[in-house]
Amino acid sequence: MMANFQDYVFYAFAAILLGAGLRVITARNPVHAALYLVLAFFTAAGIWLLLEAEFLAIALVLVYVGAVMVLFLFVVMMLDINLDKLREGFWEALPVALPVAVLMALEMALVLGSRHFGPERVATPKPHPADYSNTAELGRQLYTDYVYPFELAAVILLVAIVAAIALTLRRRKDTKYIDPAQQVKVKRSDRLKIVHMPAEKPTPPTAEGDRT
Amino acid sequence: MHPIVNDIYTALPEIFVLGMAMAILLIDLFLTERTRFLTYALSQFTLLGAAMITVATHTPGVGYAFSGMFVDDPLADVLKLMSYLATSVVLVYSRSYLAERGMFRGEFFVLTLFALLGMMVMISGRNLLTLYMGLELLSLCLYSLVALDRDNPRATEAAMKYFVLGALASGMLLYGMSMLYGITGNLDINQIGSALVKGAPDRAVLILGLVFVVAGLAFKLGAVPFQMWVPDVYHGAPTAMTLLVGSAPKFAAFALVMRLLVQALQGVVHDWQGMLILMAVLSIALGNIIAIAQTNLKRMLAYSTISHIGFLLFGIMSGTLNGFIASMFYVSVYVLMTLGGFGMILLLSRRGFEAENLDDFKGLAARHPWYAFLMLLLMFSMAGVPPTIGFYAKFAVLQAALQVGLVKLVVFAVLMAVVGAFYYLRVVKLMYFDEPQHDAPVRAQPDMTMVLTVNGLAVLLLGLMPQRLMELCAYAILHSIQ
Amino acid sequence: MTDMLTIYVLIPLLPLVAAVVIGLFGRKLPRAAAHWMTIAGVAVSFLLSCFVLKDVLAGHTFNGAVYTWMTSGGTVFEIGFLIDALSALMMVVVTFVSLMVHIYTIGYMHDDPGYSRFFSYISLFTFSMLMLVMSNNFMQLFFGWEAVGLVSYLLIGFWFKRPTAIYANLKAFLVNRVGDFGFLLGIGMVLYTMGSLDYQAVFSIAPQFADATVELIPGHPWQLMTVICLLLFVGAMGKSAQVPLHVWLPDSMEGPTPISALIHAATMVTAGIFMVARMSPLYELSTTALSVVMVIGAVTALFMGFLGIVQNDIKRVVAYSTLSQLGYMTVALGASAYSVAIFHLMTHAFFKALLFLAAGSVIIGMHHDQDIRNMGELKKYMPVTWITALIGSLALIGTPFLSGFYSKDSIIEAVALSNIPGSGFAHLAVLAGVFVTAFYSFRMYFLVFHGKARWREARHEHGQAAQDAHHHGLGPHDEPHESPWVVTFPLVMLAIPSVVIGYLTIQPMLFGDFFKGAIVVNAEAHPAMHELAHHFHTVFHSPAGMALHAVASLPFWLAACGVGLAWFFYLKRPNIPETLKQRFAVIYAILENKYGFDTFNERFFAAGVRWVGDRLWRHGDVQIIDGTLVNGTARLIGCFAAVIRHLQSGRIYHYAFAMIIGVFVLLTWFMKV
Repeated sequence: MMANFQDYVFYAFAAILLGAGLRVITARNPVHAALYLVLAFFTAAGIWLLLEAEFLAIALVLVYVGAVMVLFLFVVMMLDINLDKLREGFWEALPVALPVAVLMALEMALVLGSRHFGPERVATPKPHPADYSNTAELGRQLYTDYVYPFELAAVILLVAIVAAIALTLRRRKDTKYIDPAQQVKVKRSDRLKIVHMPAEKPTPPTAEGDRT
Repeated sequence: MHPIVNDIYTALPEIFVLGMAMAILLIDLFLTERTRFLTYALSQFTLLGAAMITVATHTPGVGYAFSGMFVDDPLADVLKLMSYLATSVVLVYSRSYLAERGMFRGEFFVLTLFALLGMMVMISGRNLLTLYMGLELLSLCLYSLVALDRDNPRATEAAMKYFVLGALASGMLLYGMSMLYGITGNLDINQIGSALVKGAPDRAVLILGLVFVVAGLAFKLGAVPFQMWVPDVYHGAPTAMTLLVGSAPKFAAFALVMRLLVQALQGVVHDWQGMLILMAVLSIALGNIIAIAQTNLKRMLAYSTISHIGFLLFGIMSGTLNGFIASMFYVSVYVLMTLGGFGMILLLSRRGFEAENLDDFKGLAARHPWYAFLMLLLMFSMAGVPPTIGFYAKFAVLQAALQVGLVKLVVFAVLMAVVGAFYYLRVVKLMYFDEPQHDAPVRAQPDMTMVLTVNGLAVLLLGLMPQRLMELCAYAILHSIQ
Repeated sequence: MTDMLTIYVLIPLLPLVAAVVIGLFGRKLPRAAAHWMTIAGVAVSFLLSCFVLKDVLAGHTFNGAVYTWMTSGGTVFEIGFLIDALSALMMVVVTFVSLMVHIYTIGYMHDDPGYSRFFSYISLFTFSMLMLVMSNNFMQLFFGWEAVGLVSYLLIGFWFKRPTAIYANLKAFLVNRVGDFGFLLGIGMVLYTMGSLDYQAVFSIAPQFADATVELIPGHPWQLMTVICLLLFVGAMGKSAQVPLHVWLPDSMEGPTPISALIHAATMVTAGIFMVARMSPLYELSTTALSVVMVIGAVTALFMGFLGIVQNDIKRVVAYSTLSQLGYMTVALGASAYSVAIFHLMTHAFFKALLFLAAGSVIIGMHHDQDIRNMGELKKYMPVTWITALIGSLALIGTPFLSGFYSKDSIIEAVALSNIPGSGFAHLAVLAGVFVTAFYSFRMYFLVFHGKARWREARHEHGQAAQDAHHHGLGPHDEPHESPWVVTFPLVMLAIPSVVIGYLTIQPMLFGDFFKGAIVVNAEAHPAMHELAHHFHTVFHSPAGMALHAVASLPFWLAACGVGLAWFFYLKRPNIPETLKQRFAVIYAILENKYGFDTFNERFFAAGVRWVGDRLWRHGDVQIIDGTLVNGTARLIGCFAAVIRHLQSGRIYHYAFAMIIGVFVLLTWFMKV
């Protein structure tokens, strides 16, 4: 009975997830689209909970919904994005795109259907005892067997930061900021230049010179 | 040896490059415009050091690290050494170009070194996870390098295209990888390989995964029909970045193909063979024919790249060790020629002027006979005219294909190579038989002239003595792939 | 033996070193260095070649590798030399003519800004040609083949400021690519079936394949040897300008005259002849291939001769004459008379180089006016050129005792004795060719050296229009003058062998053991050569006897008629040609249009890359090369490119969509559910 209940929950989450995902790309208003994405994240987190991946589920809600999406919503609201321009090619491409999409979905459905991925093809995983810590296990894996990909992920994030700054940081040209270190280091010769000139001009003064 | 010590020892070149990249990132903060040369020198030093470490830790055997996610075999070492060399040449060629355009900044060097790190990770990857992460690391660096000239709308547009399409391709690759994981329950290359050899558990799913993996690889290589980004990115990016995108990463892409198709998916060799044949034929035909219609040298070289990739695939699709050796030979020759070709564009460019149109090469022989001669060698090599190395590279891959009986395809490829000769020789014609359009002097740094000279002559000298390079490729392949 | 090997290596290397030094540093060195260095290189090569020939005659042949280039899949590619009578003879001919041309060039190119470049090119050419003839394997043969083609391409376009020169070199290049493609396929087929590229290995294994067949189109077995020989011959047709791949040679006259003499008369164009002779062990296995060779040669020999009659450019007359003579050599090859073909190749190299250089001397004298209608009476002003040109013409038409007589008569005899299909037609063609040759040669000779001094009238028109440095003609007060000694000396030096070489060498070369081991003839299947020797020994006894007997033979009288008719038409009654021209306007038009080969090519190959080349010429404008070349090619790939370009729209949607369709196609194609 419980297993059945879990099934129902799964199907409910899955349906909401798909619906929300579809709306993310079809919603006309970008704020709505972002909100649908939040919904999608929530339901995905729910599904992960069903899979006993509690840490990931909570991380998804906290990090993506709590931080990333809120930031994203700010950006969307602050920028005036002209969605109609972005969608320009959508309808003219549809007559070609739709059949291809349908055919491709069909092909994938043929393969990904229950014939190859049905429940009977995969052994049911053994449920873990109640004191099993998903988080501790994840941590152990992450810092032992998967330390290499973990470090790589860190490098990728570093590159992302470097790249983002390199592409966006602009130093203002008209800034009045003065570097104190430079100021202290200044020498007399930098400011004052003594030019030696002959005491007397060798050429006779012109008529114009006389007047002044 | 303790596992951690072993891990560090085996991955020492990667660790060194990473450490140096971060050090340069910090050091550069304290440098001014005048002392920025230090960043450049440190980058070159990093490459040299990495090469020395790689050579010092090299063994003919296969070593593993990080619970088998990292492999250090002769293939990896040789490809890494080639990547260092190519990257180093890229830095030499682009120095004055970048300085003249205000891009001679620490970010360029840091991102280049991180891109190199990505390549190294790919080359040494023995796990779908690490292969993918290496690819992302490399791609991310390349996207941002292309956009580094941020006030240039053409470059940012190119970067945008590269980024969006690259993300799509990454998605495809990842999707294919997940299918492979789904049927074998494993991310490890060798274990996937042995699982498939034992008997494909689920052919339909396997093929589905294979198609997506091949599509992802084809995008990275730039094979038809996943080549669309190549001309736009090569053309739009600042030439120094084009040089980088077009050279060293090809080694990593080749390694990726070797790891994924050959080591992991050798069980379905007949399936991917068919796909590669299709893409190779289309690439050679489309690349060569469209290149004729180009007036921009960078764009022409982009299409020429597509056709070269077609030839490269000829060796791989033969599915024999001979074919892989020939392909590795081809990819190294290709990088050598690409470095020279774009290097020549960089050489002739100057502040506010990009020597990227074919017309800019008119009458070069009268103005600078030596540069024209080098370009002539490079063009001949790309066209596959003996005795340049390009001829031998084409010959080797076609021979490998012939050995497995792909006679018609080889005849087709030869025909297309003849078509291709037309547009390469047009460049020669422009240089030697046309009137110069302007008379601006070329002011090249002595180091660049020297490296470019070595690069151009290498095309000829290696063509006269290809045996060494061939032996190196054979050594790398035969000691790494069973 | 190692000493000899050093000599072999030095022979091609000396010109190469000279070429490289002059090519790279020519601008910095004094002008005289260019000719001194290259001439010294070629001269030493020539002397060494003579030494090698003497050594070969003493029985010392050589076949071996000098340098191994690479080993691939069991196939060895190496630079190697095969020194036997055939290659030694070619080496002497090549270096001698090259030396003469080098000397001549000092005078001819005296004021040209590309002086050192030119010397560098011709030395480079000498090197390439030597590598070609000395090769002991197909790979090196092909390398030499491409290299001479490349240098010829560079030299035709030497005056790159002339649009016609650029067009001509593009045309030469493209036509030769057609030939090279066949040649390469032939070589590939040799490697594929016999597993080796070494001459000796291939020749020794070839008889085993005599009856082998190959199905290029499934269900139609063809004899393997025929296919190989024909493919190789396609290469020879391109290089030796046989119909229908001859179209580039007349246009190649855009190049400076010294290279017309060296490359387009004496050496490079004969590479095809040399190649077939070298491959005689293969050709002997396929009578079908020999028939094709003979018929193509016969068509070239006769019909290209006709075209020589209507040309007015002095160099073009000689060019068509070259085409016709190459046809003769090819006919000889077809008749299995390889030694006769090489013999004619040698004599032709001397007298045709002589004629070209004489034409060049005339051109210098006429201040670069090349139209023979504007010449006449030059014998008074240019005595040395006159005498040597007369000797050359007499040799060309086959006057008894002169070199051309021995070689050409032997060809005609060999064809008459041949029994393969097509030999009847070929015999008629070469006989008619004798008359035609005599007619056009002496038409040119009379128009240039005798008759009225027409330049006196013509120069008034030329006087004002003297803007083009290369086409100005005589000024109003100029008289033609004899050329300097550097020009006339080679003429004399070439005139000597043109007279005597046939008489001296016919006996050993054709009927002795000279080519033993180098050329193979299957005497049972193709007895022509055997019977020819028999005939010579029983009837003529000696070269002098052969010449004396000729007076009673048909070719002699045909030649005499030709000369007589030329005299009548162009000296006695100069109005007749005009009348005939109007009376037979159709024939004249056909000849004028060169049988429409160019027109045909233009229209028929419009779908190929050749189309672009012809396009260029039709507009005849440098502008085209800049602008329309690109657009023209775009039009060539037509709708295909249009579709692709449409896809390369620059819009990211389209690109992504193309990728998805790519995945879709792969998925549909390879999916096996």
